[in-house]
Amino acid sequence: MANNPLQHYATSPADWRKTIRQNTNKTYVIIGIFFLMYCLIGLLVDMYVDSLAYPAAQPWQLFYALITFQLFPLATIVMFGVAAISLFVAYTLHDQLMLLGTEYHEITPDTAQSASEQQLYNTVEEMKIAAGLRYMPKVYIINADYMNAFASGYSEKSAMVAITRGLMDKLNRDELQAVMAHELSHIRHLDIKLTLTASLLANLIIMVLDMLFYNAMFSNRRDSENRSSNRLLTIIIIVRYLLPVISIILLLYLSRTRELMADAGAVELMRSNEPLANALIKISGDHVAHREAYAAAYANTPHENVRREAYIFDPHQAGFQPLTSLNDLFSTHPSLEARLAALGFKKKN
Amino acid sequence: MGLIVLIILLLCVGFVILTYNRLIAQIEAVRNNQKQIDIQLDRRFKVFESLINVVKKYMDYEQTTLKDVVALRNQAQLAKANGDEKGRIDAENQISKIASNLNIVFEQYPDLKANQNVLQLQEEVVSTENKLAYSKQSYNDSIEIYNASKKSFPANVIVSAFTAKLNVDFPYWQLSEQKVAEQESYTVKL
Repeated sequence: MANNPLQHYATSPADWRKTIRQNTNKTYVIIGIFFLMYCLIGLLVDMYVDSLAYPAAQPWQLFYALITFQLFPLATIVMFGVAAISLFVAYTLHDQLMLLGTEYHEITPDTAQSASEQQLYNTVEEMKIAAGLRYMPKVYIINADYMNAFASGYSEKSAMVAITRGLMDKLNRDELQAVMAHELSHIRHLDIKLTLTASLLANLIIMVLDMLFYNAMFSNRRDSENRSSNRLLTIIIIVRYLLPVISIILLLYLSRTRELMADAGAVELMRSNEPLANALIKISGDHVAHREAYAAAYANTPHENVRREAYIFDPHQAGFQPLTSLNDLFSTHPSLEARLAALGFKKKN
Repeated sequence: MGLIVLIILLLCVGFVILTYNRLIAQIEAVRNNQKQIDIQLDRRFKVFESLINVVKKYMDYEQTTLKDVVALRNQAQLAKANGDEKGRIDAENQISKIASNLNIVFEQYPDLKANQNVLQLQEEVVSTENKLAYSKQSYNDSIEIYNASKKSFPANVIVSAFTAKLNVDFPYWQLSEQKVAEQESYTVKL
């Protein structure tokens, strides 16, 4: 190939099975931490409420009493109930949200208007067979010049992939298929369900902490010089400022982990890492080359923030050049170099 | 004390049930993927039939390798009816070889190349061959998952308790060693 973007990269063996296994383990750890945080916040609320009934008790005494059920942890149980209901509502409504604001149309074998649209459908169907999915995802084309794609769907049955016209025009068949494989991997790894659950829990944690904080600060308990209630108040203040930051960092780490896992899943389906690597390089280069035009296009599309985390390429990354480590911490996607390294391509020299 | 023993017992029973169900699901997934290959083989022949109908107008059909496809397909069907799995695979692999050469055949007929239907059908042939290959890949992947599951500990203990239902031996879709040597030394003849 005359213009081979990968010529600047040295190949090394990359094991997609290992990548998937490692990222699955990381996910378990992150979800475990979230669950633990959720329980601890619930217990903190219970401790606060019970400290009103038992003003002489030390915080650790209240904690011990709650986890051994000597005091009934009502707030914790209620929080679990609220979480269950919110998750159920979010799952039911989620699918309508993702296409909001874009100009799009669906492709089926009957409605495909051109050879390239038929080819797009074929690439998705081929990946569906390779992945062993039971249902064919809906395929949508978004009328936009920037190169991007996303997948949505709470389960296999309600799955959909959307792809911009810019992406269709500028990638060859294999690269297009690699992008579709990445998106289908998000679907079969149930990433949408996972990140929705994690972000919902994070939001609930922040809400509950806020309510607890304001309640604790402005209630009429100033009169007592009670050391234990002051200690509890200190805990509440620290937690209220610390936990939201921790939650967001964890969420972003989860998002990056699942992106790497989807990349490995694409390699699994195509049994080749080159098409995806080439596609990522092309998409990144395209975003950098047309930065202003695309920034305007993204800005003019309403509800773009809904899709931002789900895209294969984070549009904000094109704006930053030297990536500082702080920026990496707060990014939803790993950097291009990190993704290529995970695929087995290291930049030469 | 008695409560703890009861809980542990319940957890063990629960684990056995979950593992049993998971292995059954994996076996059925392999069976399904096996049938998917049949579906793709069948589809491939239908695509070829459409292609042949279009192409007949532009070239002396009898002189082309396309007529071999029909013969090979009949061969494959016969082998399948007789339970000759190896013969069937052989015939279908030969059809794949012809499919991969189609572009070269078309280069010799400019009128044919320009025909819109033919371009579409070429994509269909490529896509169909891809789907066949991916269905074989998916079949092998599901065997990998099942085999790894049933051979790992502690699942293998449960498998040995229910051997009839849980221990199925699926062959991976593969080429014989002779076939591999043939395919590796294959070059395109124009």
